[in-house]
Amino acid sequence: MNQFLIALIGGVGTGALYAMLGTGLVVAFRGSGVINLGHGAVAGYAAYVFNELRTSGDLYLPWFDIIPEWGFLRTLRINNIPTRIHVFDFEMYIGKPPLIPTLLLSLAVSVLLGLMMHFLVFRPLRNAPILGKVIGSVGVLLYLDSVIAVNFGGQNRSSSGFWIFKPDMEPVKNFLGLGGTIPRANFSMLYAALVMGLFVFCLYRYTRFGIATRAADENEKGAALLGYSPQLIAGINWVLSSVLAGLAGIVFLHKTQPSLYATLVVGALGAALFGKLTSIPMTVLGGVIIGMMSGGGVQLANNSWWPDWLEIEGVRTFMPLLVIILVLYFQGDKLPIRGSISVGRQPHAPASNNVTIGAIFAVGFALILSNVFVSKWEAVLTTSILATLFMFSLTVIVGYLGQISLAQFSIAGFAAFMMIRFVGDGTLQRPDDYYVITGVNMPTILGFVCAIAAGTLLGLLIGLPALRIRGVQLAVVTMSSVLAIEELLTKSRSLMGEGAASIQPTPSNPSWFGQYIGGFNKETFRTDYWKYSLFLIIITALVGVAVVNLRRGNTGRRFLAIRANERAAAAAGINVKNAKMLGFGISSAIASIAGIMLAYKIPAVQAENFAIFSGLGLLAFVYLGGITTGYGAVVGGLLVAGGMMPEFLGVHFGDVERGMINAVGAVGLILNAIVTGGEGVALLQSDALGKGPLALLRRNPDDDDNSETDEDNATEGASV
Amino acid sequence: MSNILETSGLTVTFGGLNACDKVDLAVPEGKFVGLIGPNGAGKTTFIDAITGYVPTSAGNAVFSGEDIGELKPHERAQRGLVRTFQSLELFEDLSVKDNLLVAGYDTRWYSFLLDMIYMPRKDKDVEEQIEWALEIMGLNDVADAMPSDLSHGRRKLVGVARALAASPKLILLDEPAAGLDTAESQILGGHLREFLDHDMSVFLIDHDMGLVLSVCDYIYVLDFGKIIAEGTPQEIRESDTVKKAYLGEEAGEIQAQAGERMTYNIQGDQGGQDD
Ligand SMILES: Nc1ncnc2c1ncn2[C@@H]1O[C@H](COP(=O)(O)OP(=O)(O)OP(=O)(O)O)[C@@H](O)[C@H]1O
Ligand SMILES: [Mg+2]
Repeated sequence: MNQFLIALIGGVGTGALYAMLGTGLVVAFRGSGVINLGHGAVAGYAAYVFNELRTSGDLYLPWFDIIPEWGFLRTLRINNIPTRIHVFDFEMYIGKPPLIPTLLLSLAVSVLLGLMMHFLVFRPLRNAPILGKVIGSVGVLLYLDSVIAVNFGGQNRSSSGFWIFKPDMEPVKNFLGLGGTIPRANFSMLYAALVMGLFVFCLYRYTRFGIATRAADENEKGAALLGYSPQLIAGINWVLSSVLAGLAGIVFLHKTQPSLYATLVVGALGAALFGKLTSIPMTVLGGVIIGMMSGGGVQLANNSWWPDWLEIEGVRTFMPLLVIILVLYFQGDKLPIRGSISVGRQPHAPASNNVTIGAIFAVGFALILSNVFVSKWEAVLTTSILATLFMFSLTVIVGYLGQISLAQFSIAGFAAFMMIRFVGDGTLQRPDDYYVITGVNMPTILGFVCAIAAGTLLGLLIGLPALRIRGVQLAVVTMSSVLAIEELLTKSRSLMGEGAASIQPTPSNPSWFGQYIGGFNKETFRTDYWKYSLFLIIITALVGVAVVNLRRGNTGRRFLAIRANERAAAAAGINVKNAKMLGFGISSAIASIAGIMLAYKIPAVQAENFAIFSGLGLLAFVYLGGITTGYGAVVGGLLVAGGMMPEFLGVHFGDVERGMINAVGAVGLILNAIVTGGEGVALLQSDALGKGPLALLRRNPDDDDNSETDEDNATEGASV
Repeated sequence: MSNILETSGLTVTFGGLNACDKVDLAVPEGKFVGLIGPNGAGKTTFIDAITGYVPTSAGNAVFSGEDIGELKPHERAQRGLVRTFQSLELFEDLSVKDNLLVAGYDTRWYSFLLDMIYMPRKDKDVEEQIEWALEIMGLNDVADAMPSDLSHGRRKLVGVARALAASPKLILLDEPAAGLDTAESQILGGHLREFLDHDMSVFLIDHDMGLVLSVCDYIYVLDFGKIIAEGTPQEIRESDTVKKAYLGEEAGEIQAQAGERMTYNIQGDQGGQDD
């Protein structure tokens, strides 16, 4: 019992961090109505800046030099955008630079970030539909996380902390007579959270600005009456939110590696939702409760009745998800209030009628490339095609159905691991493999099908909340489930096999109809691609044609009807719940196929292959290509890091370059949300531009074409 | 004659206020029934209640012999109880024709598989119904346009056509004529009674007294959630209660007279309720 209580109190430290981050989330939400999924990354950037200042004396601005330093560009010397300012000379100081100036400088960067978020992202998106705003905050998350990778090398850092936030302080012994020890920093964090909460609470309650914010929250005119423009209020709140995040990040530095920051937003979201996105005291309380639940939950899971196949540590990430789902489930209403119009326009989703021709061209093109290129290029080509294959799952769920699921890539990962398990036969796959995969020893095709079924089931499970929760809240739920899936399931050794938590060898001899279709040749230890490429191209083409056909048929129309207006969809006799589950099912099945195909390509998979940032990056690029069309997925696949376009441009992928590409993708994502409303490169196809010289492009070898709708409909109608 | 829809004691409460108060109302099969009443009388709320969009606190609704109180909105629509919305609520991302197709076709569990290989189900009856709906609402020339490219009035007509496309047994029209220009009103008004020839009954809410008095077989008058009068158009026109509550002012008189004149322009029986 005491053990359990100590575990509960042990969670207070993390809980306090959730509370602080949650407070910042609420501030941003009250100011602008945006739930910022990038809030954790905002905290992380400030923490890294602080850490870097203290160790090297350099101040890194929140961007990097985009212009590569090679070729003629180097001789031109145009790559000198300032990114780093050397502030503290170590000659002057013995040991570390002084704390207060460092802290202030880091917070100044936070202010800058707040201004950037307001002016560059959320102000331009203020009238965008919900998807646009969610994408904007995903862009912030992806951008900052990528910039952290580029500027700071993405390594973990730990800091010894400062003042009372030091890990090496004497722990509290025998707290309340419970025995055991609790790190003193836990309590310091709690103080910090309480002080921060109290400060914001008083600010909102007693200052003119705070009252105006609360008025604006209820009714934009209310703020105007008090003499504030709503956008001014939004801007100030963004800065405040960013500074609060920075503070939270910096005081938390002592406790963990900054790479975790971006994912901490999940706990913060739980806290903020606990406070119904308005109440600061409830948010602080919610954060602490979630932290304690996590600590206590892990302790409980250590009992013998806990099912083996759920990873114990995963409970920590599951608790915020649980709170989020509970809060949303009981707050969410079944149907939106009547007459409520969604502001802004959703991206067009034109049906295409040249599917066969498009597919033939695309496949032919891909085949030619796969035969022209030598092995390195084939790796690149297949990366692009794999990305496209996965993106089709997003086309269905986000593009057609309008349900923002951020969890699809985890489903891909889950299916990949399940496939390995299904076909595993307990023998060593390759001489140098570290683990032996035990499993059911299914034949390749059966394993393929069963893994898709498993992935689809998981997708349906994740889709369940979508029956009541929609819009940005669904994005919140699915993003939280990403972490829970990874920690609870994908890393579970008893479910996925010995290597699950580290690296899992894939089957060495996948064969369909007697043909080896893996991407890795175990005899030669080399990549042996052409059959794999061919197989991948065929699968992708089939999936792509199916997805584009969906849009042409009644299923796609129903999905789009739901995306546009759930009330009216129900009045048209559509069973909205079934249709949503169908969408999640189809999307998850496609994601599973993509995951399995990825596993066929590489000799071993690990949970990191399916990390949240890779998934968000893919979302970014398909959104950039055009989320509503098959064409968009093809373009998105070409753009993706490690894919065709970056490779053509000569950017080879290491961690840093991948970060750069993702950052560029994030910027493109935000721009795309602002400029084209998410139609992406597919805008080239839309009527707005289609009449000009771009009309020529319509004959492109791609899946999409919305001209000649009538004739094609007529002929096709007759032939069916 | 049997009633396609019958409510008894239907009550909807919004925080203490009875938006519909013990409403007893019947729509006989194959007839054209109107519901009128001043703004905020609870007309839309009545439609919301019988289509399942707001919960009822008392009373029940029977639709073709079945108590529909427990059914979900889409289940009621599938049974042929189809409504339009006072606010537009079109599917903005679908073309006019696609709006109708969505409502026209139902799905089976395997439909999506057929769709994936592009073998959509074609049903002659549904296609004909959609053609007819487009035709009758004068939307043939804009079948492939997006709703956002149309005038407000024509968008309203798309809403009506979408409901018609579903081949309803009873169509509930919530102020279809509001916001229409003269030409559009004539299209609508001139065709409303044709609906009856397509195996449906019609329930119409509108503020245009001329229209309501001229097309309806039977009219109910709602005020503050209560039915205060009912009868044939003739009876309603002459009812003192109605005059007081609703038509009392001069404007009402003029509109009522306009309705009389319009009667001559519209064929179809005006005989009122038979039973
Ligand atoms: N969701 C709701 N919550 C609370 N009150 C509501 C709600 N919907 C309607 N009301 C109230 O119920 C009453 C009836 O509204 P209703 O929209 O049914 O009137 P109506 O007869 O359709 O009016 P109009 O002619 O203006 O369309 C009004 O007083 C309205 O304010
Ligand atoms: Mg109304």
